[in-house]
Amino acid sequence: MRRFVPVLVAVVLAAAGCGGAEPQPRPAGPGLAGQTIEVLAVWSDEEQAAFERVLDVFEQRTGAVVTYVSGGDEVPTLLATRLAGGSPPDIAGVSQPALVRSLARAGSLVPLDAATEAVVDAQFAPVWKELGTVDGELFGLVFKAANKSTVWYDAGQLGPGFTPPRTWAAFTETLRKLSDTGDTPLSIGGADGWVLTDWFENVYLQTAGGEMYDRLADHDIPWTHPSVRTALETLGQVFRPEYLPGGTEGALHTEFVESVVDVFGSDPWASIVYEADFVAGAIAESTSATVGVDALVFPFPRIGSRRSVVSGGDTLVALTDEPGTAALLRFLASSEAASVWAAQGGFVSPNREVGLGEYPDDTTRQIADELVNAENVRFDMSDLMPTALGGIRGDGFWRAMQDYLADPGRVDEILVDLEAEADSAYAAVGP
Amino acid sequence: MTRAPDRGGRRTALLFLAPAAALMLVFLAYPAAYSVVRSLFDARGTEFVGLDNYATAFTDDRTLVALRNSVIWVLVAPTLVTTIGLVLAVLTERIRWAAAFRLVLFMPLAISLVASGIIFRLVYDEDPDSGLANAVAVSVRDAFTAPSPYAGARPRDGGGLVTTADGALVTAAPVGAHDVLALPITGFDPAALPRQASAATVAEPGPGLRGLVWLDVGSAADRTGLVDAGERGMPGVGVEVLAGGRVVATATTGDDGRFTVPDLARGTYTVRLPEENFAAPFRGLTWLGPALVTPVVISAWLWIMSGFAMTLIAAGLAAVPRDALEAARVDGATEWQVFRRVTVPLLSPVLLVVVVTLVINVLKVFDLVFVIAPGSVQEEANVLALQMWQVSFGPGGGDQGLGSALAVLLFLLVLPAMAFNIRRFRREQ
Amino acid sequence: MGAAMAPSPDPPGAVARRPVAARVVARLGGPVVRTALVVVAVFWLLPVLGLLVASLRPEEAGARSGWWTVFTAPAQLTLANYAALLSDRVMLGSLWNTVLITVPSTVLVVVLGALAAYALAWIEFPGRDWVLLGVVALLVVPIQVALIPVAQLLGGIGLYGSIPGVVLFHVAFGLPFAVFLLRNSFAAIPRDLLEAARMDGGRELRIFWRLVLPISLPAVASLAIFQFLWVWNDLLVGLVFADESSAPITVALRSELRQFGSNVDVLASGAFLSMVVPLVVFFAFQRHFVQGVLAGSTR
Repeated sequence: MRRFVPVLVAVVLAAAGCGGAEPQPRPAGPGLAGQTIEVLAVWSDEEQAAFERVLDVFEQRTGAVVTYVSGGDEVPTLLATRLAGGSPPDIAGVSQPALVRSLARAGSLVPLDAATEAVVDAQFAPVWKELGTVDGELFGLVFKAANKSTVWYDAGQLGPGFTPPRTWAAFTETLRKLSDTGDTPLSIGGADGWVLTDWFENVYLQTAGGEMYDRLADHDIPWTHPSVRTALETLGQVFRPEYLPGGTEGALHTEFVESVVDVFGSDPWASIVYEADFVAGAIAESTSATVGVDALVFPFPRIGSRRSVVSGGDTLVALTDEPGTAALLRFLASSEAASVWAAQGGFVSPNREVGLGEYPDDTTRQIADELVNAENVRFDMSDLMPTALGGIRGDGFWRAMQDYLADPGRVDEILVDLEAEADSAYAAVGP
Repeated sequence: MTRAPDRGGRRTALLFLAPAAALMLVFLAYPAAYSVVRSLFDARGTEFVGLDNYATAFTDDRTLVALRNSVIWVLVAPTLVTTIGLVLAVLTERIRWAAAFRLVLFMPLAISLVASGIIFRLVYDEDPDSGLANAVAVSVRDAFTAPSPYAGARPRDGGGLVTTADGALVTAAPVGAHDVLALPITGFDPAALPRQASAATVAEPGPGLRGLVWLDVGSAADRTGLVDAGERGMPGVGVEVLAGGRVVATATTGDDGRFTVPDLARGTYTVRLPEENFAAPFRGLTWLGPALVTPVVISAWLWIMSGFAMTLIAAGLAAVPRDALEAARVDGATEWQVFRRVTVPLLSPVLLVVVVTLVINVLKVFDLVFVIAPGSVQEEANVLALQMWQVSFGPGGGDQGLGSALAVLLFLLVLPAMAFNIRRFRREQ
Repeated sequence: MGAAMAPSPDPPGAVARRPVAARVVARLGGPVVRTALVVVAVFWLLPVLGLLVASLRPEEAGARSGWWTVFTAPAQLTLANYAALLSDRVMLGSLWNTVLITVPSTVLVVVLGALAAYALAWIEFPGRDWVLLGVVALLVVPIQVALIPVAQLLGGIGLYGSIPGVVLFHVAFGLPFAVFLLRNSFAAIPRDLLEAARMDGGRELRIFWRLVLPISLPAVASLAIFQFLWVWNDLLVGLVFADESSAPITVALRSELRQFGSNVDVLASGAFLSMVVPLVVFFAFQRHFVQGVLAGSTR
């Protein structure tokens, strides 16, 4: 029996060695064989599958093992508890720059290394680098961007004679004409306050300009500033009860996905819906309409003269300083990594080097083009504010917008309340 | 006279208690103490702020609403559930298919709270096509009321008509006895006009009050409120002429949308198109609106927890000695008296456990509220546990200090409820 | 008959009233009660039925129309949602994890809770009432409060992210209710029984095992099923304290949810799959709820 053991061991070892044969030749690059890297982010289901393909490319290149954990909406909680428990993930993908800021200031993040920073400098517009910078150091890489200035409409309902309105005046006129014949053309997911904040941000960016936008986001000007009122009143031209299915009450009870289904589903109540490019995902999953065929998009109607885009994004940060972490982030900053996901759809990269040809269809190309080449790009304001103000369901900025939709006559009162909340929120976060 | 166990017995007691006590100390008592201490520090946990967090909690609107709602929950929900559980436990004792019934009542507990929340969200969905509650409400209501001919139409802005609070359309300016009116209506599909509707032309001046009610689906922005070619009148619209609030004459529009009211005395009048012409179809109640959302969520909780109460009480009933009941019955007591005077007191230990557990459970409920209440009414539906969750683990990193303060408040809120119930049942025993 | 009821002498009219009341009560005891119970059962089932139907519909259908429309359009029913879940290896693995977490949690809570409850009910020692009060007070502690401190603790001893860590958390949180429920149930046992047993020279452990537990079987069974349920359906603790390899099914289901979505199809089918085991356990246990040794006279 004794004699068998070494043979057995040898056989097992050999089998293990043989089992791990790589089908592809091992290219050059820092070998991370055997290292495990963990990524925690908000993406799940199809987005998760797409991201895992990106990670696969990295795994094949370096021999590292990358595991992805989906945290859904609980990413902040998970990060907090895992940091407390002493086992944070190596890389985390967060949707709010405010969270990046607070994590960086708490010392939980490792700054991006020089090589990654060089890539960001070369291939990304400055606005994206700024988003990941906290107190002068670069901590975050904006990997996935969202174009939040896209309006979607149902070509089937509106017919081939419909020309998308380019200006705000044309947009309101379109809505009026459609509603005159008894339709309720505009679908708004008012139950999700962030939908309304995205409306506001687009209008504000165009009516007040980029500089004022930045100042409002930093709370340099108060919410009671006349420019805010102007933007809200402009928005009010579109938030008319007769344009919305079920009136304002109906809009306040419609959630984002429902608002998309209300337009593109089998029993439509409206023909136009505004939200970011992730509407495409909702269309694909909850309706039988096809993006690019029945579901078309036009850019947010122009109020000013400049091409303005409000965008969102998911930022990747490093929580450990393992060599594998830095290597993975360097890879994810490259246009190659972005192209892997871009080709699968449902993804827009802020990286300028990603060619428009990488995107799978015209609609996505159009959206990506708008985003990367806009003159006036700003990040979603509600993600820039302290989360207590801009990220809480049913409170703060979200709630103020819902209150405005419910009763535009109360605009002054709403703004005064919002300003008070903003004061305490910004004060709590510190300079 | 009970014989107290000797020192060996006391040691046994400690041995029996030790493992449970150890776990509870580490996982429950320690975090509780940690919370109390943490509530005295700021959001990041570095600066001592004393009672500041508590002050913030009491001055914050959201917390106050949450407090009010939590009190409502505590007062209403556990009693309701215990009563339902008690009644059902007693009633099902006699029937043969008690096991199946219990299974049905128990099923909601086997479903996770999130799934239950989704179920109720769907049941109370405002859209009568997808929400069961409104589907029933609309069917019932529609069985009794007829639809209006021009449902959902509204007056053209600036066309001389305004909508009153009860849905009628009245002329904004006073009308003379011989005026010619043109009243534009919009927001209605021209294809749905009655077949006999003919082209609209402005009424010619002549004796009597004359008017035109037509569907103004103006093609160009500058032609709204004016009669265009292709626009048709609205037949069959009831018209009322009011003098000083009283109806003095009525008319109905003809196929071309025109109406005439002859023989009016000189003076000023108001023309009104009553609400029945344009009433929008009933779409059900706003179950998930600010007024009804808390009762709705409570009803969901009731659905889930009644099975819990019923199961525990049934178990307690099983342990009730039958001879006591028999003795009472032999003495001539009615079923109700047996129930009230014998069964309930004998059940009081179980009832105590049920009520206290429910009270505490009620105050910890947050995922149900979170899932059922849409974003626009989160504030009205807010309860303390949800507020605490959002503050502590909010998307921005959270404020553990304030969250801990809220947790302490939660605890303080429960104590009187618990003490009251414990004392009440002690007395019954 | 009326004269035998000594405590309350009846007013003269009562004799005529009672037969009416008695008749109503007698009638109530029969088919009226049964009908009422059937109605209640149907109402209770409606939401679950809705969920079942929703799990059999594809996402698009669920997004637009109510589930009752399937009765007129049965063609849309499909098992695709279930097939998708069952063929997912991760899902099946997490189902096993859930078993690994739930069974020990339930057993431990029942055993440790019963021992502690017995001590608190029938063994005299100083400060006993305070301990009981403390335990009941701990019922209030919500999970959120314990997340961070326990994470730190478990991280310190290396149990963070493992199944034993999750189990310990669940046991600790289930103990207050267990002790509260069982203690009250034990305390209701007639004193003389225990006296007799002690007099016979029985040791505490033996009395506990042979006498107290069997008598309180309904309460113990109830506790077991509720604890089982609570742990089986738990999401939060599993999400925070289990890592990928030890995640229970609730966490695995979560990653199936799309970021923005009503997801009723996934949720509904997942909820039903998840529900099967607890229901089976309940059905198996439920006869113990009503079969008590004390039902019927013991003198």
